[in-house]
Amino acid sequence: MQDGKTPISRRRFLQTSMAAAAVGAGLQSPLVKGLVPRVQAAGSRPDQGEITSHFTACDMCFNRCGMIARKQNGVIKKLDPNPKCLKSRGMICARGNAAVKHIYNPDRLKYPLMRKGKRGEGNWERVSWEEALDYTAEQLMDIAEKHTRCGVMFTPGVDSQARFVQQFADVFGSYNITNHESLCLLSRNRAYLDTFGEVPYPDVLHSRYIIIAGANPLEAFITPDTTDLIEAKKNGCRIVVLDPRFTRTAALAHEWHQIRPGTDMAFFLALCHVIVKGERFCCPDKTFGYDKFVEHVAKYTPEWAEKECGIPARDISRIAHEITEAAPRAMVYPGRRTSDYEDSTQIRRAMAITNVLLDNWDRPGGLLASREVGVRSPFYHIPWYDDNPFDRVEAGKASGLFDDIGSFQLMREAVISGEPYPIRGWFSFKTNFMQTAPDRQKTIRMLDNIDFFVNIDIFMSDTAWFADVVLPGNSFLERKDPVHPLQGSSACACAFIRDPVVEDMFESRPPFWILQELSKRMGFGESFDFTIEEYRKKQVEGLDGALEIMHRDGIYFNPSKVYGIYAGSPLKTLSGVKEIYNQRYERSGDDPMPVYRRPSNPPEGQFRLVVGRTAFFTQSRTNNELLTEFMEENTLHMHPESAERLGLKNNDLVEVASRAGKDRLRLEIDEGIEKRTVYMATGFGSLSPQMSLVYKKGASIAEILEDTHDEITGNAAMHETLVSVRKVS
Amino acid sequence: MKKKYAMVVDSSVCIDCKACMVSCKVQHSLPRGHWRNWIKEMRPDFSLGKYTYGHFQPGNCMHCENPTCVHACPSGATYKDEETGIVQINEDFCIGCGNCIVACPYFARYRHPVRRVPDKCDYCQDRLAMGLQPACVDTCPTKARVFGDLNDPESEAAFLLRTRDTVKITTSPEDTKPNMYYLASTEPMDWPGEVKYPAAHSTMTGLVNPLFKIAVGLSGLAVAAMLIRQIFSGSQSSEQEEKKEEA
Repeated sequence: MQDGKTPISRRRFLQTSMAAAAVGAGLQSPLVKGLVPRVQAAGSRPDQGEITSHFTACDMCFNRCGMIARKQNGVIKKLDPNPKCLKSRGMICARGNAAVKHIYNPDRLKYPLMRKGKRGEGNWERVSWEEALDYTAEQLMDIAEKHTRCGVMFTPGVDSQARFVQQFADVFGSYNITNHESLCLLSRNRAYLDTFGEVPYPDVLHSRYIIIAGANPLEAFITPDTTDLIEAKKNGCRIVVLDPRFTRTAALAHEWHQIRPGTDMAFFLALCHVIVKGERFCCPDKTFGYDKFVEHVAKYTPEWAEKECGIPARDISRIAHEITEAAPRAMVYPGRRTSDYEDSTQIRRAMAITNVLLDNWDRPGGLLASREVGVRSPFYHIPWYDDNPFDRVEAGKASGLFDDIGSFQLMREAVISGEPYPIRGWFSFKTNFMQTAPDRQKTIRMLDNIDFFVNIDIFMSDTAWFADVVLPGNSFLERKDPVHPLQGSSACACAFIRDPVVEDMFESRPPFWILQELSKRMGFGESFDFTIEEYRKKQVEGLDGALEIMHRDGIYFNPSKVYGIYAGSPLKTLSGVKEIYNQRYERSGDDPMPVYRRPSNPPEGQFRLVVGRTAFFTQSRTNNELLTEFMEENTLHMHPESAERLGLKNNDLVEVASRAGKDRLRLEIDEGIEKRTVYMATGFGSLSPQMSLVYKKGASIAEILEDTHDEITGNAAMHETLVSVRKVS
Repeated sequence: MKKKYAMVVDSSVCIDCKACMVSCKVQHSLPRGHWRNWIKEMRPDFSLGKYTYGHFQPGNCMHCENPTCVHACPSGATYKDEETGIVQINEDFCIGCGNCIVACPYFARYRHPVRRVPDKCDYCQDRLAMGLQPACVDTCPTKARVFGDLNDPESEAAFLLRTRDTVKITTSPEDTKPNMYYLASTEPMDWPGEVKYPAAHSTMTGLVNPLFKIAVGLSGLAVAAMLIRQIFSGSQSSEQEEKKEEA
């Protein structure tokens, strides 16, 4: 405006002319027709810039589906599936699509924070990385000196860089490492390890008959199982679902049996009863304890099971006949989250033994052994510290505890009691026990004995909210990650890498960098004195051209053997064959074969609480505006008859109370749920105001679930809690 | 050759995961609470006991052969592209009357809360131009949605239509002739609403329209005058202001 005129800006000009043009109807005027395209080209739609595509892999859950990020003007605009990724079958789910609001989320942690007030009060001070790292290193070393290095517990989450946290803990010298797995799948792992010698991959795609119990694969995505289940169904596979809830999996199954919660073992023992009677089972010589088992299941008749689980005896017999007809291309789906009952491992053992009888091990349409991916784990030296205690803190507290993972709940118990030795420090990376572990009040109480708590995450999770130092990690789209090996059932054995699609936002940093900086300050910098490139090279030694292929296609496939991997060689069990009768259980005083225990019946007015999740949330990772549109808060599902008896109506605000705690949420009348069972989804009722979309929205499972665990593994038992429900006026 | 884009959906494999809805929402930066596509759900009949089933039905604008939304548009902003069969919206010509929104029996349109114009599925024409499938099709885990050109006999969509029984979700009394086909059968079928043309609509299109054409001519003149002024007064300062505004 140098010359004093008020030139009409192009935008104003366009607004005016468009308004003028818009008045018209018909648009036959040649003048308008000729003029408008040129006006548009002149800039009513500013040039958007070139779209570039970048391979990456999703990190919105554990599956790691292949992705292509579309970037424009330095911003990730869209995430598309990598069609070459066989594991994910060229798809990404709602959560993967919503990852743009994972990275571009106003709630992201932006810089290191240190607690000023009391824990959980939310009084934070922004500090420099230098200050945060110095303080963290000093605190961890201080605990190491006072209470030995095992005095710090480490909880690495599911992440491609979690391996570095594990390495950090090992080199630092603590064996007290646990992760989310003791809230999830350890009982399944134990059951299958103790039957087949390893944890199998179900070959869903080639199966002809699948029984799904205690699993919901059409909502809790497992790739490729979820997509393969649908493909198998198209190819004629029969799907039988047992579930107290009418899940999406039940909705698309051929038959759905509303089983009484906690009685799955009765069904499977009766199924075995019929199968062994039918003498269709071909290979008792490849098993240990078959004869004992035949005797064992003699009393578990379908008629007996009907009374326990509510599924008619004739259906049990029919299913047994049908599935043996389809065997060996038939299976009981092993599932994933099996943290449900105090005898979860035994329940899964009953399912594993059914699979033994179907003779489906290491065969098409059955349960597959681990395939060779060929990616190595580079060696690192683990030092010896003389003053360290003999074993991890919860050692011996459960007969089948996993040495390397342990149990969060049993560890928490040990921290609270200070026995057998004190744990005074907590190093958490991307785990959120405040939202996911039963009995939140107990987790809060555990913090009374923790002198120093550092948390690395990309959000101020409920767990981070109680930390002393909060360090902002970067997101998977900003990362350079090591090679990540994966098996996708019969689909593939594969590996991928991630390179940054965009730069680190704010002051967030890669976990690897944080660990490097801490290790330098703590005197073991040489253990992390390498680059990710150097590490990757060591990982793929012997796999010619693998890294180049990962760069070119976003994924590398190893065409390794799929079926018949064992080829007659012994299994990794004590007997070397499939253990129907488990010898180790006999020694540890556990039932060597699964013995049915009736779950407690909820007394009048009470309900059994079962928990789960939808296809669009990964457990407590709910704080995403694209996903909360489908569910802004969780609800308590209750059968209409039960609701009527309590005088409750849809959408009533109710209080759900157990012996552990209580929380409030809205009631949802659900005709598809068993009458004495109520259900709620994980990931709501957040304590952290910086999980702004779910803060105080709905109820938290962690608040209500009682502290019970699987007797063999110490895995959480999330379906043992009985609750009362009342209307809040 | 002219294209006839359509969608053939196998709703029996839809697992209601919402991937298509989020993919679409991200692709088009849709506002909260509004969608260009959907997954409908039948009400299960629990009296069927163990045979109780559910059925989920993905959908979006059906790019009808008889597009009632196009008929309802008084300004010509909404039109069916003869080259592709895509029902398009030229926002620059939209007067925001909302007639097209109520004229669509599938509720496929909504009024954008910020731009105040109708918005709906355009089969992701920006992605098509890049050689990509529409966002909802590309991401679908079970590949329930198949998109393609029915005029191309080699396309999967044309193949499915040729070899499989399909149903369409139609409306009466006015048949929209949708270009959305469902394999075998689908549920629910009874959800479309009425085709509603505003009362003034016929009067407007039949009577007032000629007058509007004159108005268009006049406005065109005004546009030309503005342009001439812009060309002659295109000083440095206006360019600066323009940059500032675009930034």
